[in-house]
Amino acid sequence: MTSTVENLQRYLDEIKKNDKQGKKINAFLQLGDEKKLLEEARQIDEKIKQKKAGKLAGKIIAVKANINVKGLNASCASKTLENYEATYDASVISKIKKEDGLIIGITNMDEFACGSSGETSAFGPCKNPQALELIPGGSSSGSAASVSAGFCDMALGSDTGGSIRNPASHCGVVGLKPTYSSVSRYGLIDLGMSLDQIGPFAKNVYDCALLFDVIKGKDAKDSISQDSKKLDLKEVEKIPKGIKVGVLDFKISDERIQTLIDNKIEQASKKYGWQIKKIKIDNIDLAIETYYPLVYVEFFSGTRKFDGRRYGKRIENSAGPEVIRRILGGSEISKAEYRGRYYHLALKVKKLIEEEFSKAFKKEKVDCIISPTVPRLPHKIGETISVEDMYGYDALTIPSNLAGNCAISIPAGKINNIPVGLQIMCDKFQEQKLLEIARGIEKMGEN
Amino acid sequence: MDFLWHAVSEKEKEDIKKQAKAIMDSFSKKLERAKIDKINEDGIERKEGERKEGEGEESDSSFREGMFSNFRIKDSESDSKSKNEDFEHAPNKNKGFIVAEKGGW
Repeated sequence: MTSTVENLQRYLDEIKKNDKQGKKINAFLQLGDEKKLLEEARQIDEKIKQKKAGKLAGKIIAVKANINVKGLNASCASKTLENYEATYDASVISKIKKEDGLIIGITNMDEFACGSSGETSAFGPCKNPQALELIPGGSSSGSAASVSAGFCDMALGSDTGGSIRNPASHCGVVGLKPTYSSVSRYGLIDLGMSLDQIGPFAKNVYDCALLFDVIKGKDAKDSISQDSKKLDLKEVEKIPKGIKVGVLDFKISDERIQTLIDNKIEQASKKYGWQIKKIKIDNIDLAIETYYPLVYVEFFSGTRKFDGRRYGKRIENSAGPEVIRRILGGSEISKAEYRGRYYHLALKVKKLIEEEFSKAFKKEKVDCIISPTVPRLPHKIGETISVEDMYGYDALTIPSNLAGNCAISIPAGKINNIPVGLQIMCDKFQEQKLLEIARGIEKMGEN
Repeated sequence: MDFLWHAVSEKEKEDIKKQAKAIMDSFSKKLERAKIDKINEDGIERKEGERKEGEGEESDSSFREGMFSNFRIKDSESDSKSKNEDFEHAPNKNKGFIVAEKGGW
């Protein structure tokens, strides 16, 4: 078995070779001190020998730059927080450290999580390790890319409208958005607090489940956090029986993607005897229009602390265009004269979509709903694209955030050598079932 | 347009503001077609707050040290060492406290 020291050294060598040089992936904004990391790795190996090690012993983990890791920069890939050094560990980080996970560094992202492509970082775009000229997706671009490039075992990201699942899909890795409130956000720099959720990336479903198992649970420091059902990791390896799969009835423009997903579902149905049923979710076509007013207003509100007095620069004077768009747009539509419009209207449609999902799971009795993760293939880095088209990347991931459900993206195959993700959505706190179904589909590719 | 990061001028900010409002207007128009009359206001509008203020937590010395270094207090050690101009808005410090700017907020 590979030791933690050997594992760490292998990743550090690969990062040196291909992150800022070689392929120039640009997945990391900051690495931990090498000497300290190696010393920590030695201590973990010692614990393993003594059989006193935690669940994550031996695992090397990267963390998105909007999650506080004491002593490292939580810059949110912005010049606004360029020099901000975290003074404490986010609750998820404390849990990882307690279970002997080793945090290797801080990953690149869309600035303040405002983006779906990984291009809006103030420190240069991140590349897609599977197709170097293309975007890796976002906003957790560096976390997905670092797993995909072989720079670490696992990574943490945050998902407000698809920011874990979207880059997981483009980079060919597994990414889980847990049920809203199942993972503490204490220490997460927010994008939209009514939607934000921290979640794991990994190379496979089992590792994703392992990291989720460690970070989940109620936390007194995040008042909305709740305990969820116990996760049985052994059960994740078993193929669930009698599953009724809902196939989302939603037209996307790239038929190649839909065909690939449909074939995968059919294969699973034949192999495991799962039933298939088409599911229509009313108003799901309004997901983007519902999501953005909520995010614009909540992001505007959340960024008032970046006034130049406390954390360095004033955000309006130091951020890039997408951040400015959301702040100025949020400021405008939250004016008293617009009371009852925009945000309020969006909250109502959000509730409507949540009820539609609930109906599908409880009345139609489907165990999960499957769709493509992203409706199109990634564009070239720096390519011209409209705001509406950029927002459209998240058309299929946003609904789970609005409903508060759990959802996962797993690799489904490739089109023109570009990875395509399959999204599985389950009802709130059904992560056990979600992971079992995901592992079942993942296993088909292993045979 | 591309989505690569660049510094935003005052003129561009004006254009972005108009564009953002136009996007929100078009989104809002589409949302009006949803049948929201059946949706009740629970969890949407709250007349009373539910937050209870506690006593707060005592911070340890390393937290205070780290926090003040991030605050970039004028005339502090971190301020004098810095080569950038992050601190134009930073308030003054008196020992372990930040001096409030009267009328400045």
